[in-house]
Amino acid sequence: MTNYLIRRVIQMIFVILLSAGATFFLFNIAPGGPLSGLQQQQQQLTREDIARIKAQFELDLYLPVRFSRWLIGFPSGPITVGGQELFADIPVGCYLVREEQTTDRNGNTVTRPTGCDDYVYLSEIPELHPAVRSSKGILRGDFGLSTVVRPGRPVLDELLSRLNATLELLVTATLLSLLIGVPIGIYSAVHQYSRFDYFFTTLAFIGSSMPVFFFALLLILVFSVMPVFLQDTMPWIPRLPSGLREAMRGYSIAEWLPRVEAGSLWDRLLHLAMPLMVLTFFNMAGWSRFVRTSMLEVLRQDYVRTARAKGLRENLVIYKHTLRNALIPFVTILVLTIPGIFSGAIITETVFAWPGMGRLYFDALSRSDWPIALAFIFITAVLTVFALLLGDILYTVVDPRIKYK
Amino acid sequence: MAATAGTLKIEGKGEKQDSQWLVIARRFMRHKLAVISLVLILLIFVASLLAPVITTFPRDAVDISAPTRPGPPGIAGSDGRLHLLGIDNLGRDLFTRLLYAARVSLSIAFSVVLLSETIGVIIGAIAGYYKGWVDTLISRVIEFMLTIPLLPILLILSAIMINTDANLPLPDFVIKGLSAVLLAPEREANQVFVLVMIIVIFGWLGAARLMRGMVLSLSEQDFVESLKALGASDARIILRHLIPNGIAPILVNASLSLGGVIILEASLSFLGLGVQDPTPTWGNMLNASQSYMFQHPWLPLIPGIPLVIVALGFNFIGDGLRDALDPRLKK
Repeated sequence: MTNYLIRRVIQMIFVILLSAGATFFLFNIAPGGPLSGLQQQQQQLTREDIARIKAQFELDLYLPVRFSRWLIGFPSGPITVGGQELFADIPVGCYLVREEQTTDRNGNTVTRPTGCDDYVYLSEIPELHPAVRSSKGILRGDFGLSTVVRPGRPVLDELLSRLNATLELLVTATLLSLLIGVPIGIYSAVHQYSRFDYFFTTLAFIGSSMPVFFFALLLILVFSVMPVFLQDTMPWIPRLPSGLREAMRGYSIAEWLPRVEAGSLWDRLLHLAMPLMVLTFFNMAGWSRFVRTSMLEVLRQDYVRTARAKGLRENLVIYKHTLRNALIPFVTILVLTIPGIFSGAIITETVFAWPGMGRLYFDALSRSDWPIALAFIFITAVLTVFALLLGDILYTVVDPRIKYK
Repeated sequence: MAATAGTLKIEGKGEKQDSQWLVIARRFMRHKLAVISLVLILLIFVASLLAPVITTFPRDAVDISAPTRPGPPGIAGSDGRLHLLGIDNLGRDLFTRLLYAARVSLSIAFSVVLLSETIGVIIGAIAGYYKGWVDTLISRVIEFMLTIPLLPILLILSAIMINTDANLPLPDFVIKGLSAVLLAPEREANQVFVLVMIIVIFGWLGAARLMRGMVLSLSEQDFVESLKALGASDARIILRHLIPNGIAPILVNASLSLGGVIILEASLSFLGLGVQDPTPTWGNMLNASQSYMFQHPWLPLIPGIPLVIVALGFNFIGDGLRDALDPRLKK
């Protein structure tokens, strides 16, 4: 077991580095990037202007150097060993690129870099990049500064400020789906092919082919839009707020109900209702299905038949002998919800303007705030890898028959 | 067709080669929901093919002086022509856009599934046939890619790629052909193709895993041994014998992933990071309807209902195919 764990952790570190590297290079090789806005005005800018702007984003440094700075914040200047500066004159980037205009075979003028007029040396990093000198790299918990969504604000602060909203939504949704989904799965399996079973099997099927956002829009139609249209004929239907986490000022959801104060518990609950319904519906559909299949499999085992043949009470057969075995594979699924709980639900949070992590990620992407997007992906990847490891360990706890070598 | 033909010839079970397919078709017909779905999807497919015949409005024609924008189904435009499903906020005919959107969404789904199943089948077959380090490498890559959360990474890829007008190094006919199929300008076809490629990057994993498993068990069987003894090349064994024999679960998987890709594309376009207006897709039509749904609640239903029908339909067809192709797989 210890050997296995050590091997897994090494693998994990490798996978995390790999995914960090992949996402980083993706952002940097891709066309556009932080300078995409500049492309249009490039005619008016001199070569020096562009060089200065590029230096702001550290784009003058070579890719491997940039990656190492992003990952661990090294090198941040000349390396000092015993008061002596080493490697101070090693070029780590190119401040002024020498460019040459050529004509390609289609007759278009293409600017090609042919060399470098002014190298960046190791000793010049602090001087050329004063703002980023303090960067410690993401492995040391420094995710850099936001560029567009909250310019200049540390990415980590921004992420943490969204964590509450996401946890509130996702933890409730996960618990609720468990409370509803698992019993449905058990009942469906015990009463296979009953009307109850057919109903929830169909529901799960619909859940697997219904786009999350369309379900969310349908809920808004039913609970927020319809009551307004039916105001004259059926004024007693309450209307749910369809966005954000709490209201700016008090409102009333129906005439016969008391007014809801902004920021009160009722206000928060009403805002939570619809996103919660969406997430619970989809989780519940999947999980009840999973529990059902797994229960059915165990119910067919010989030891269940033996238990019944011995005249054990049906309740004991189901809850002690079947359920406990059927829930073992469920551990993996449950553990994999952990990254989701922290990273939020991108689509649901976006439709309901829920100020959580998923929404932040979406905003960062659509407005090209790469530091936030990168941090989000990196944290999600790390959490996923940890969750997988945790799942494997828990597996041995709930099922001692499994041994890793 | 090669699938059963191969099995039958080698195992010497069948008298007539096409009878097997008749049996499968008959079994498929027993799954009522699958048949209904097939008919509905075929209807939508044909309607989208005939889009320029069915509707006389150009796809992007704007009716600025329409009485209301957006307008309800059955509204008459400023020139007195009837808009069957109404008009959107720019005064474009929704029925027309719906048909063209079906063209785009279905083209994306079919190309993604065709490409990713082909890639997956070949990679999976190679992993399963050669075993050893090839298998280890491919399996590790697949495992790694499966741990990456799909939606965030697809969103990143399309956020980066979609608006850059990236020109992929492709032979001309790909984009020209796609633009002819979509009845859209080449620039839009290029964008659609970029999206297809992005989804394919993560789309082949399922097919590869399935095929690897199938080939692993098939290559233990005697007929592979005898093929080797007869001097058949690896490529021939894989392409002519192993893949055709393992294709049944791939067909089921393909049908299920058609539904999945339709939803994925719609989600990306809905979030504004997929196909962009003016190219219509069900996803970006839903996105556009979002800001007007409080005054015009029917708007999201117009692209939403065909979207759900098609996604649900492909899942039912996959279900029916599973029952028909291999009754043992029946849940």
